[in-house]
Amino acid sequence: MAMTMTIERVMAFMGLDVLVARDEGLFEAEGLDLRIAALPPEEIRSAAEGTPTKPTTNQGKLQARGHAQMFQA
Amino acid sequence: MIVCGALVVSPTSTVYTPQELAHKRVALDYGNGTAYAGLQMLEGAMPREAVTTCAGATSPAERFAGLMRGDFEATVLQEPWITVAEKAGCRLVSTTFFHGTWVATPDVNVDAYAALLRAITRAVRLINADKRRYVSYFIRDWSGHPAVEVLGPDDFNLGRIQLKEPGPIPEPEARWAWDWMASWGLIAGAFDVTTQINRAVEQEAHELAAGVRAR
Repeated sequence: MAMTMTIERVMAFMGLDVLVARDEGLFEAEGLDLRIAALPPEEIRSAAEGTPTKPTTNQGKLQARGHAQMFQA
Repeated sequence: MIVCGALVVSPTSTVYTPQELAHKRVALDYGNGTAYAGLQMLEGAMPREAVTTCAGATSPAERFAGLMRGDFEATVLQEPWITVAEKAGCRLVSTTFFHGTWVATPDVNVDAYAALLRAITRAVRLINADKRRYVSYFIRDWSGHPAVEVLGPDDFNLGRIQLKEPGPIPEPEARWAWDWMASWGLIAGAFDVTTQINRAVEQEAHELAAGVRAR
């Protein structure tokens, strides 16, 4: 049975390796069912709403609610 | 993955060096790695009291648009928006690189993590063998944005696309990053490696993944 893992959405600038691994079937070849989860658009907030000491970030939100095991910071 | 961040000014800016950004507004996407990279580039060029930032949007597309409107003097961008900015005549006044770091839940499955590392290691090798082949991913992320859609693979500076096989987090680097953030008041408390890095899981996963590196 395949292992499963859910990670938060990555983009090429910080996750090109993940996206290529997914598209080339490399996770599947390792027996890993890697799922990439994205925040619903209505939950995405802009960093423009934040301050240096109280930033508004979308990273880690899915992990915090138990919907992802990993995210890239 | 190694992330490239660049401090960018508009084509009409009088700024040519990072030092010239002293006391000038630089838009940063606070809370994101690119913002911290921007701050590090600025503080390397001027006294801290001269660093002047303002809140920028998370989307580099919006930060680029704000730059071109003259909302601020400079901003920090990542690919493909660095390439977009260069094509628009903008100047890069500083460029830096930083590690993307995986943040995992305490109960992450070691075998699954090791499988992830093995797959990523293979992907890094594929990409490094032919980076030009994979730059389309940067364009694909921004479907519907004409400034990106007009880019072709040859437009990209491959030196800004750097990938490294994953490895354990070096404690001195983690400690330095923590202390640096604390020095700016961005994080509180002292660095405690035992709460920040689960060495047992990390070590076991990397040992399990090591086979692919040896091949």
